[in-house]
Amino acid sequence: MLTMRHQPRPSPRPHEAMQQMKAEDREKKPKFCINDHIDILIEILKHLDGPSLGVASSVCRLWCTIARSDSIWEHLCFRHVSSPPPSSLRTIVVALGGYKELYMVCVRPVLSRLLHSDLVRSSVWTRDEVQLSLSLFCVDYYERRLLGDTSPSSLMFLCKPVNV
Amino acid sequence: MNKRNHQDTSGGGDYGGLQGNVGKSDSSSMSSGKAKMWEEEQDAGTGVDDELLAVLGYKVKSSEMEDVADKLEQLGMVMDAAPNLFCDTVHYNPSDLYGWVQSMLSELNNPPNTILDPMLQGQQIDDPLLAPAEFSSVPTLGFLNSQQQRQIDTTQSSRIYNDDSEYDLRAIPGSAAYPQTQDRESNRKRLKTSSGSNSAPPLLPSSPQAAGGAAAGTVSDSSRPIVLADSQETGVRLVHTLMACAEAVQQENLKIADALVKQVHLLAASLAGAMKKVATYFAKALARRIYRIYPQDCLDASYSDILQMHFYETCPYLKFAHFTANQAILEAFATASRVHVIDFGLKQGMQWPALIQALALRPGGPPAFRLTGIGPPQPDNKDALQQVGWKLAELAETIGVEFQFRGFVTNSLADIDPSMLDIRPPEEEAVAVNSVFELHPLLARPGAIEKVLLSIKAMKPKIVAVVEQEANHNGPVFMDRFTEALHYYSSLFDSLEGSTLVPPTQDLIMSEAYLGRQICNVVASEGADRVERHETLTQWRTRMGSAGFEPVHLGSNAFRQASMLLALFAGGDGYRVDENDGCLMLGWHTRPLIATSAWQLITTDSS
Repeated sequence: MLTMRHQPRPSPRPHEAMQQMKAEDREKKPKFCINDHIDILIEILKHLDGPSLGVASSVCRLWCTIARSDSIWEHLCFRHVSSPPPSSLRTIVVALGGYKELYMVCVRPVLSRLLHSDLVRSSVWTRDEVQLSLSLFCVDYYERRLLGDTSPSSLMFLCKPVNV
Repeated sequence: MNKRNHQDTSGGGDYGGLQGNVGKSDSSSMSSGKAKMWEEEQDAGTGVDDELLAVLGYKVKSSEMEDVADKLEQLGMVMDAAPNLFCDTVHYNPSDLYGWVQSMLSELNNPPNTILDPMLQGQQIDDPLLAPAEFSSVPTLGFLNSQQQRQIDTTQSSRIYNDDSEYDLRAIPGSAAYPQTQDRESNRKRLKTSSGSNSAPPLLPSSPQAAGGAAAGTVSDSSRPIVLADSQETGVRLVHTLMACAEAVQQENLKIADALVKQVHLLAASLAGAMKKVATYFAKALARRIYRIYPQDCLDASYSDILQMHFYETCPYLKFAHFTANQAILEAFATASRVHVIDFGLKQGMQWPALIQALALRPGGPPAFRLTGIGPPQPDNKDALQQVGWKLAELAETIGVEFQFRGFVTNSLADIDPSMLDIRPPEEEAVAVNSVFELHPLLARPGAIEKVLLSIKAMKPKIVAVVEQEANHNGPVFMDRFTEALHYYSSLFDSLEGSTLVPPTQDLIMSEAYLGRQICNVVASEGADRVERHETLTQWRTRMGSAGFEPVHLGSNAFRQASMLLALFAGGDGYRVDENDGCLMLGWHTRPLIATSAWQLITTDSS
């Protein structure tokens, strides 16, 4: 964010006097730039959904770094889970490719599909959905290693349109 | 069913009279409500030439438009199949499309016999790997002669079909390319073919007819061509013909069976989708049985693994099997610090990543995990089992689970001795045995299943997870097996259809091939070759019970996971998870297709 510095004029007229006052006020108040308060920024970004995070990451380099950090995606993945995930989960997810990957590959499609069907009434997840997503994520990871990235498609069924 | 055949008026080969019959047949199809509509249409447009075509120089009456369109299609089919059939036709007035088409098609019905011979000899024997659409059924040369005989000697053909089976075998065969066109509703279908009727008198045409069968150049025997109304009716006819054929095979009536098989192909050509594929696979399998083509495909284990992989991707059956079996194993391993899983069919090991991950997340930390994978020998001495073991070890290391792998290559599970597997005592290590579709092949050899169940008991497992197809394809009577299999695989193919993309992906095609091989095995093999001896859950329950196992109920966790998994699949509303006395069954609509069950040794003491 840019701040403008105005040179005060020597003999202000009333209108200009008002402007001058405002300029002085501006100079006196601390300039607030969100980029200086990363923790607030992170808190705000945590409330965004997946696509918005994607947009946010194209604002500037700082936002990009933050929006891509796994902790925000971790929050996103488990935002709807009623009980907190076990601590051992993080190492596993990170090892398998990270929370962003987990979200994009599994959590988002699974969540949207299940909300679409009647199995998950509210957006509250339980351990079962988490478990399922993780299992699918793991299978996908394994398949990529096994088949060597040649179009592993065990999760392709998640991309296909659902017949409603 | 609407009656639309008029053998008595147009007796077969004589198409000179057909034009006259067209008018008559309209009035006789009054019984059908649908026909009424078309009749009104026809009355309105009689005698008027179609304008658009007239501009191009063709004179076609509007009333005859649909008729001509149908005939042109058939002509196209025939020409595709047998281009050398039309040698000497002279067309005097090509602008009269109707007459032209008539004359072209009538030539088909009265071809000189000599043309048939090169066609017969030029065709190939059925290739097991051909996709269904390319089927061409031609018997061996020995059979050829009797067929040729039959073509020339049509008046005596009624003697061959003197069977009084309930499926009305007078309706036989044939694959005439030119149907009688009394049916007006056929314009709804893209492909029109002919088949035998169920209710006509046993009348046979006076001259032999060549066929450009819709599938590929199949040569017909004498027939009475009748047109089919709509695809539902075709479907019903198809099933009846298939059953008739199976019955004929069971009674060793191979000539009839052969003719019926060709009929099935023709009928199947006019359908689309799952029914067509199922019918084609069953017809191929029946043909193999008739011509005694043994052994079936000697395709190696790696190919069948690939097919199963594609089946895994396309539909939820295998995923369901893995998830539910894993859940049972996980629950049994809840407190163990060392675990050993023996997998009777490792294949690509797709079941285990999820279990390893679930074990890693166990409250209290993961146990030490040992996996013994059993598999068939591979060609080129490739060690496929070891490769899979490495990949699983990599995954386990990434996740942080202590992992050990051992592979065993064997042709049959009955050859495995528990002492080979390095089983540790139950206090030290909890053992689980996992079998996904691996128990039913043992029923092909007497004594094998008992031996394996004894071996399992000797391993002292905490839990035995068994997944099997829910169908009885192992009855002693061929006809029963056939009927069961027909219903079972129809449901399976239906469910595949529900999740299909257009154009069909390679996965789908391979999945169908995977199922097609099973069909072939159920229908065409016998004895030790017939390994797809599926049995129902009830039958397995009895077997396991008498071997000394008692059921373990799969919990509600498994049920919930399975339901969620199915909801993720396109066409998910067709799949159904049912709980059956502690076992979980996955089905398509009302038909259960696979069943997962869990077992443990009968605990005689009260510990």
